[in-house]
Amino acid sequence: MNRITREQDAMEAWRLAAKRRWFFKQCGVGLGAVALRSLLGEAAGAAPSDPLAPKLSHFAPKAKRVIYLFMAGAPSHLELFDNKPELTRWNGKPPPAELLKGYRAAFINPNSNLLGPKFKFARHGQSGAELSELLPHLARTVDDIAIVKSMHTDAFNHAPAQIFMNTGSTQFGRPSLGAWTTYGLGSESSSLPAYVVFNTGSKGTSGGSSNWGAGFLPTTYQGVPFRNGGEPVLYLSNPKGFDSFIQRDSLDTIRLLNEEKLKAVGDPEIATRIASFEMAYRMQASAPELMDLSRESRQVLDSYGAEPGKPSFATSCLLARRLVERGVRFVQIFHEAWDQHGNLTKDIAKNCQDTDRASAALVQDLKQRGMLDDTLVIWGGEFGRTPMVQGGDDGRDHHPNCFTIWLAGGGVRAGLTLGESDDFGFNATRDRVHVHDLHATLLHLLGFNHEQLTYRSQGRQFRLTDVHGNLVTQLLA
Amino acid sequence: MDSRLRRQLLAVPLALWLSFGSAQADSTPGSPLLRKPATNHWAFKSPLRSQPPRTRESGWIRSPIDAFAVARLEKEGWRPSPEADRLTLIRRLSIDLTGLPPTLDEIDAFVSDPARDACERQVERLLSSPHYGERWGRHWLDAARYADSNGFEKDRAREMWHYRDWVIQSLNSDLPYDAFLTHQLAGDLLPNATQDQLIATGFLRNSMINEEGAIDPEQFRMDAMFDRMDCLGKAVLGLTVQCAQCHDHKYDPFSQEDYYRLFAFLNDVDEYTAPIYSQAELLKRDSVHEQLRRLDEETQRALPDWRERLALWENRVRNDQPEWTTPELVEYGDPGGLSKLQPQKNGVLLAGGHRFAGGAWRIRARTTITNIAAVRLEAFANANLPFNGPGRSGNGMFALREFQLKIAPVKTTNAPVDVRFASATADFETSQSPGGPVAKDKDYYGPVRFAIDGNDRTAWTIDAGPGRRNTDRKAVFLASTNFGFVEGTELTFTLTCHDEIACFRISLSTATNAVADPLPRVVRETLATPAERRTPEQQTALFQAWRASEKGLEPQRLKEEAIWKQHPEPSGTTLALQARRDTRPTSILKRGDWLKPDRAVRPGVPGFLRPPLADAQPSRLSLAQWLVDKRSPTTARVFVNRVWQAYFGAGLVATPEDFGVQGDAPSHPELLDWLACEFMTPELENPGRTGGAPAAWSIKHLHRLIVHSSVYRQRSAIAPDAYERDPYNRLLARGARFRVEGETVRDIALAASGLLDPRVGGASVFAPAPAFLFVPPTSFEPFPWQDAAGSDRYRRALYTFRRRSTPYPMLQNFDAPNGDAACVRRARSNTPLQALTSLNETLFVECAQALALRVLSEAPAADADRVRLAFRHAVGRPPTEREQQHLAGLLEREQRHIGEGWISANELATGAHSLPKSLPPGVTPTQLAAYTVLSRVLLNLDETITKE
Repeated sequence: MNRITREQDAMEAWRLAAKRRWFFKQCGVGLGAVALRSLLGEAAGAAPSDPLAPKLSHFAPKAKRVIYLFMAGAPSHLELFDNKPELTRWNGKPPPAELLKGYRAAFINPNSNLLGPKFKFARHGQSGAELSELLPHLARTVDDIAIVKSMHTDAFNHAPAQIFMNTGSTQFGRPSLGAWTTYGLGSESSSLPAYVVFNTGSKGTSGGSSNWGAGFLPTTYQGVPFRNGGEPVLYLSNPKGFDSFIQRDSLDTIRLLNEEKLKAVGDPEIATRIASFEMAYRMQASAPELMDLSRESRQVLDSYGAEPGKPSFATSCLLARRLVERGVRFVQIFHEAWDQHGNLTKDIAKNCQDTDRASAALVQDLKQRGMLDDTLVIWGGEFGRTPMVQGGDDGRDHHPNCFTIWLAGGGVRAGLTLGESDDFGFNATRDRVHVHDLHATLLHLLGFNHEQLTYRSQGRQFRLTDVHGNLVTQLLA
Repeated sequence: MDSRLRRQLLAVPLALWLSFGSAQADSTPGSPLLRKPATNHWAFKSPLRSQPPRTRESGWIRSPIDAFAVARLEKEGWRPSPEADRLTLIRRLSIDLTGLPPTLDEIDAFVSDPARDACERQVERLLSSPHYGERWGRHWLDAARYADSNGFEKDRAREMWHYRDWVIQSLNSDLPYDAFLTHQLAGDLLPNATQDQLIATGFLRNSMINEEGAIDPEQFRMDAMFDRMDCLGKAVLGLTVQCAQCHDHKYDPFSQEDYYRLFAFLNDVDEYTAPIYSQAELLKRDSVHEQLRRLDEETQRALPDWRERLALWENRVRNDQPEWTTPELVEYGDPGGLSKLQPQKNGVLLAGGHRFAGGAWRIRARTTITNIAAVRLEAFANANLPFNGPGRSGNGMFALREFQLKIAPVKTTNAPVDVRFASATADFETSQSPGGPVAKDKDYYGPVRFAIDGNDRTAWTIDAGPGRRNTDRKAVFLASTNFGFVEGTELTFTLTCHDEIACFRISLSTATNAVADPLPRVVRETLATPAERRTPEQQTALFQAWRASEKGLEPQRLKEEAIWKQHPEPSGTTLALQARRDTRPTSILKRGDWLKPDRAVRPGVPGFLRPPLADAQPSRLSLAQWLVDKRSPTTARVFVNRVWQAYFGAGLVATPEDFGVQGDAPSHPELLDWLACEFMTPELENPGRTGGAPAAWSIKHLHRLIVHSSVYRQRSAIAPDAYERDPYNRLLARGARFRVEGETVRDIALAASGLLDPRVGGASVFAPAPAFLFVPPTSFEPFPWQDAAGSDRYRRALYTFRRRSTPYPMLQNFDAPNGDAACVRRARSNTPLQALTSLNETLFVECAQALALRVLSEAPAADADRVRLAFRHAVGRPPTEREQQHLAGLLEREQRHIGEGWISANELATGAHSLPKSLPPGVTPTQLAAYTVLSRVLLNLDETITKE
């Protein structure tokens, strides 16, 4: 079989599957819905189609779902990924003047002295990728991930840069990557939201809800914030005093009355409303099951460092795996903790303690379950940190010219280290990857040509990558 | 599977079938580049009134609107729908005009009203309801991207509700749309602008404000400018002007130069935080100024030789100031980098961005002067600071804890040495006082010597009380020994502040006897102006300055002080615009990048839109006048189209934000133009209203035109084939039927349950919300959201506090925008999260409980009557027999279930285990609980939250 035929076959198989899933979902809303369709008659056009029904992408996707570990506050690439022995030698000296031409810094005078890296680096795995001593767990997973050391961005204040990383624009009001993804692919869960968001870390993100907003896309596509303990979705539980008998009886009555109305006025929107109440009911049943970590083995819990009932980044990672297992398309965990203007040595070590084990465990867990192949994991912040010092000798300022992220699974070439920066980790120098390029590549992995995944608003076709973005082919497996 | 769905499953390119609208063919890449920009496009020409067409359905036609609509239907061979029944009609009118459902009394009165003009009288009743302004104000607030917080990470509260209330009141008083727009774009420039007109300019100030640390304030001022342009484009022009921020518009003949010329009108403003006085406070303030005027007259009458004495004084003080030199600024800001200072003209520095409550500015400067004896610190009022500054506390004050200076010869590595200050003078000092209006801790505030006493707990403050505090101030510090190195001196000033001094300049003098000039800047300017060229304001200022220092006028001064003491404190604030004293240049920005200014441009309007600008000295006011010129092609069309959209679910132009070449073609072009023309220049009498010709640009006239049409009054039931041929009802063969907006979803539940608190206006309220949303890690920093108690809890959803980064979940789930950007078309989704919200959210449950209590108190004892009443409260009409049966079945099952003791009836009915406070006589807790279940069902029906 030659290559083209294989791809065509895969495409056809995938298309059929999507169709089947779609049909199953559309008709799987209970007897009510089937009755409704006959009430309406096929010719009446039925309810407007569910905007979250699974959809076809431009070509068969490598990644069918995404877990994005967003390290808000911007981790220092110089302490974690980008080993700069030369910077150690320059410690305490001012940076070369040519480096600073046209450079703007947020807090510091750009001409502040350079600060040597605080931690030791070593090579790991078959790939020989370099990581700092702060990431021992990731070190054991390093052959399953791809490290990009040449990221760069346009913004160097938190809120605009986070918005940029998530929506491709520094201005508020654009759809997030998660919203574009669910808009493009729909959802495979009939009982959970398509796009789920967790907030961990010590404070909230600077970009706020716009980080997971739908912008001008229909609001259906925005991220739904989950709590990683207690009631995960707002208003999920029945009000006090309402038991399951009352709830079911109430929903049945609502359905009967809505069906009466549908018969009388024939508005298909009523059918959609009936279906949405049924899905709400299913969500009530499935969310507690989702949150119940007691079914996970001790071994799995330990590998993440998660403790049932204790909200943490680790718990969220485990919940993210459980969510994607249940058909959720996009999970994003915002861990806002990395803004080390001072106390760099101590605080970045603590952040790694909080996140390294669970991030690595997530990749391994997905791999063991055979899900890593079509689940994309992304780890990274909104920009990097300056090689120049801020304050005394233990802090770094915001830095847009160079930073590091890593990706795993979902069609990403495992074991790859892409890109290089200069001797100071100041500028990305080789195989530079702009945020728009990353977005183009992520959409590609999800089966989309980033120039064609568009939405019409304000008189033109908008896309995640605006008018930019080049596919980073080296990243593809 | 039907054919439409099947089509979707074939791999039609995603972009083509996922987006609505009909202009898909135009989106083929490349094609627009070949096309010449269409200046000939219909929307770029002034609307023309055409005669309503003749049609066959003459009996059906009530208004010209109907003729246009039916003519279109006849072209398709379709017929309009019959008129809706009165029950449906009164609920439709009530929801459309006030956003609230009718009460049962209102329904009964209308249904049984035999008068021919019954409907007309209902419309007049609703249009004169204060809730009309709330309902339609909310639509405008979407476009105006109104919010109660600043946005970005800190997202702190802002006081902006005066603007929201201004919108409501303007609509209620039917302020004509041309004035409505003019006040919002240029109210501050109107002659003798009122406080209300200043509040109106908040329209452009609804942009977000970044208070993140270390930002460059200018970058985010520019972001706010781009947002204002976007808003002007969407809300007023109906053009996608933001496309031209980076390059010429690809489809419309709107060049990048056009963009920045329009930008220049808006760029020339200061971002003002204005004090707001209540009506009573305004009267008091006016009285203070009147008394001061009379005191001037009195003084002059009492001193017949005042002119001569004033002239002598003028000569004495004219040249009594030493020469001051501003050192060359090298570096300035707060040493930590969190807060920034921006250089202005003449050595002045202005704070912006992050605000420090306690901290220090460090200024490095150089000078070649030697023998320096005195340092002067001038604080300037500036319209970008709260209430004009010169500080940045809530009322524009600052407190200077320490003023320090270190010096070193330039080009040496010698350690800098301190300059010791021996004494200080200021043009305003108070006696020592612990704490003050500027701060809450135990700092001592008082005279200027506090700034050089080496004690951080004491500070110089400048608060002269209401009416006089926000003005320029100066201090002069005398060095113990003169200083200045022959090779040049590097100076490092440290200004340690409580609330920061925010607009200031430092200068140096060799005069050993220098003191802070007691005369304000306006008096110095007056002295420099020949007497015959002085304005009356200058003369008054001069006279008052003289009175303040002349010997023997102590009694007058005491009187003046007593008058000033009556000046009220403002009870509120609002964000507004103020024209700048000196113009701010505008340049075209290369690729829209604020760091890449290109050629400078002057304010101007795009040439392809008529008419040309009349004004030779263009200002925001001339821009506003140009926009509301009756020849302006899009202004009226855009507005009537959005009003139409609110009634029918889609506009006559389905892309209300884009009337350009790429926008949707109008479904009824002649109707659109007729409405626009009739709106600007009414020719019809007020339908349904005797006498009185409607005013030009009257929004209420526009509403009357629409609701008195047969098109509006049609039944909304959908025959299967009708849905197939026109799913979005663009051709208007039936009445509109759609889920109401988020705010109305809430308001209907509140009204049905009887909980609604109908008070209009006032500060936004904190409706109940889950507490975790407002603390980290969900919120960047803790936000003080205290769930409202009492009836504030049940205010209309319009008054719910809008925090941008924490959209109110109930409203967000029902598609309300959060104010990040202008929104002229809301999504209308139908999701499981909505179902969870209306089933389980706190206030909805309280509404169900209240509705149960209400029907059990209002209706006679029979369950059938009670069920019927509850049903009517929810949807307005009585239930059908089958509906009644379904509900009776529910009631019976639930009474049994609850009666069996499986659950706590009290908890269900009240949320607590206690008995309900006011159980109607003869009603058991079990009954109340069962009715609560029933009420919750009713509040969750499709029909309850749908306009039919």
